[in-house]
Amino acid sequence: MNPRSLADLNRRLGPTRRLARLAAWMGSLVLALMVLFALFPERIAPYDSTERVALPLQRPEADFLLGTNDLGQDLFSELIAGTRASLFTGLIVSFISVLIGASIGLLSGYLGGWVDSLLMRLTDLILVLPFLPLVILMSVYLGPSQRNVIIVLAIFFWAGPARLIRSRVLNLRTDTYIEAARALGAGPRHIIARHLWSGVRPLALVQVVLVASASILAESSLSFLGLGDPSGKSWGTMLYFARASGAFLSDAWKWWVLPTGLMITLTVLGLGLISYSLEQRIAHSVT
Amino acid sequence: MFRNFTLRALEFGLTFFLAISINFFLPRAVPGNPLQLIAGNAAPQLGKERVEALRAQYGLDKPLSEQYVIYLKQLARGDLGMSYRYSGGKTVVEVLGENFRWTMLLVGVSLTLALFIGSALGIWSATQRGNSSDLGMLSFIYLLRSIPPFWLAMLLIPIFAIQLGWLPPGDSFSIPRLHGWENIKDVARHAIMPVIVLTLAYLPTAFAVMRAAMFGIMESDYIRTARAKGLPNHWVVLKHGLSNALLPVLTAFMVDLGQLLGGVTVIEAVFNYRGIGSMMFEAVKSRDYPLLQGGFLLFTITILLLNILTELLYPFLDPRLRRAT
Repeated sequence: MNPRSLADLNRRLGPTRRLARLAAWMGSLVLALMVLFALFPERIAPYDSTERVALPLQRPEADFLLGTNDLGQDLFSELIAGTRASLFTGLIVSFISVLIGASIGLLSGYLGGWVDSLLMRLTDLILVLPFLPLVILMSVYLGPSQRNVIIVLAIFFWAGPARLIRSRVLNLRTDTYIEAARALGAGPRHIIARHLWSGVRPLALVQVVLVASASILAESSLSFLGLGDPSGKSWGTMLYFARASGAFLSDAWKWWVLPTGLMITLTVLGLGLISYSLEQRIAHSVT
Repeated sequence: MFRNFTLRALEFGLTFFLAISINFFLPRAVPGNPLQLIAGNAAPQLGKERVEALRAQYGLDKPLSEQYVIYLKQLARGDLGMSYRYSGGKTVVEVLGENFRWTMLLVGVSLTLALFIGSALGIWSATQRGNSSDLGMLSFIYLLRSIPPFWLAMLLIPIFAIQLGWLPPGDSFSIPRLHGWENIKDVARHAIMPVIVLTLAYLPTAFAVMRAAMFGIMESDYIRTARAKGLPNHWVVLKHGLSNALLPVLTAFMVDLGQLLGGVTVIEAVFNYRGIGSMMFEAVKSRDYPLLQGGFLLFTITILLLNILTELLYPFLDPRLRRAT
């Protein structure tokens, strides 16, 4: 490569790297804040979000920053308390899904043959089914609870990671170090656990972050439809009650609907930014 | 080509079979008996004989395999059972028929808009690769992808319908219904907000898929050749780049269709729009199981049909496939 095009390449990669670094910082900052809310809600929130502390449907004032809901609970405290359910659900779902997805992707990609065909047909089936209608159907049968939301989402979210990890394994398995290991007599279990897993680990990490953000969005949709834990505090449930009480049609949308959705958007965006910076880092280390 | 098509047809058939089997086994797999689901809260008050009569009426006293065969036979006749909610007695198929066109209107318009706008932005972004306008666009798409669509809908309604009064806050037409040209305008006005929300929800997928496909293609040899021939830039991008990107973009888009299409459910619920989504939302509240199963089945069939349609479109988009047949 001649010097001129190399300089050109540097100039063109410059902003991408800067953006990736900025994304990593902003994403981590947002996530750190949310983790803080999730771990110590009672230290940050001014009131117990399950207690009636004022008249219902109050406008914001000095004592109640975002006013009160239809039961007279402080909306700001509810907002802080809701972080735990949303973040917790998102992370649990993503760990389970990626664990299943990575196992299936590794097995499918390395073993090939009929195992591969069978597992990939299954993956395709999951991907083609209408996600939200089926999730609604399943949640209705299982009953509204946070645990059931986690189960239902995990059943769907493993398929994406499984596909990605399988295609990475297909690239890796013909690498010389894998062939060398095989030539030295290593069995499939050793090769998958030791060599292939370390090869797909960065990809799996990105998937954990991505699936977490998708789960938080999906969980909020389900809770909004009234399929989450009705007594638990989550952002989706808050929006459900904002709609059910008709409050979002009045001025209350400004302090009830707007901040709640902003919390969801911020959290999902924070995770999205982290996944973007991780992806960029992998792309640079590979090439 | 033919072998490939048979294989795909088999796959679609299998998916369909899985969907109807889910419909059958799901209510029977959950704890508690299906009768409780049918009778709802009234179940404990029913006498023993009444319970037996109900079980016989719904065929629940037969062995599972026999129930399954009966279910399949009913399905083959297009019988999805009765909806619980309408005491006058409406079949699920009737209710679905009334609602389906509204969902198709929303989804059809929004998917088309999102594909065109998203692809255009994706192509533009790919030609600017790595510079600030590409990255600005990318950041905007990341933000868009993080916004819960139903929340966006909940913000649009108080602003544009209540405070500004420009658009109707919900439903899919005015009551009493208008006629002729006025009716068309009325339906369009009711569809504006849901379509905006859905288009914005679909946009990131179309953008990301097109941008990635164009990245790969713009690096290839034939693009370099086209440039070397001195062809103008827009010609290279649109004729040589885009025509080769269309197929992978459509394929990738169809993979996500299951995710995308289902999203309409929540949006319709927020706007009280008379589609399958609102219908399912109402059915959740009244625990109308046959209706819920019917809605899920209809979504699955729609996705499968769209996939088959795309498959049939391939030869028109790619001359190489045309010659192979």
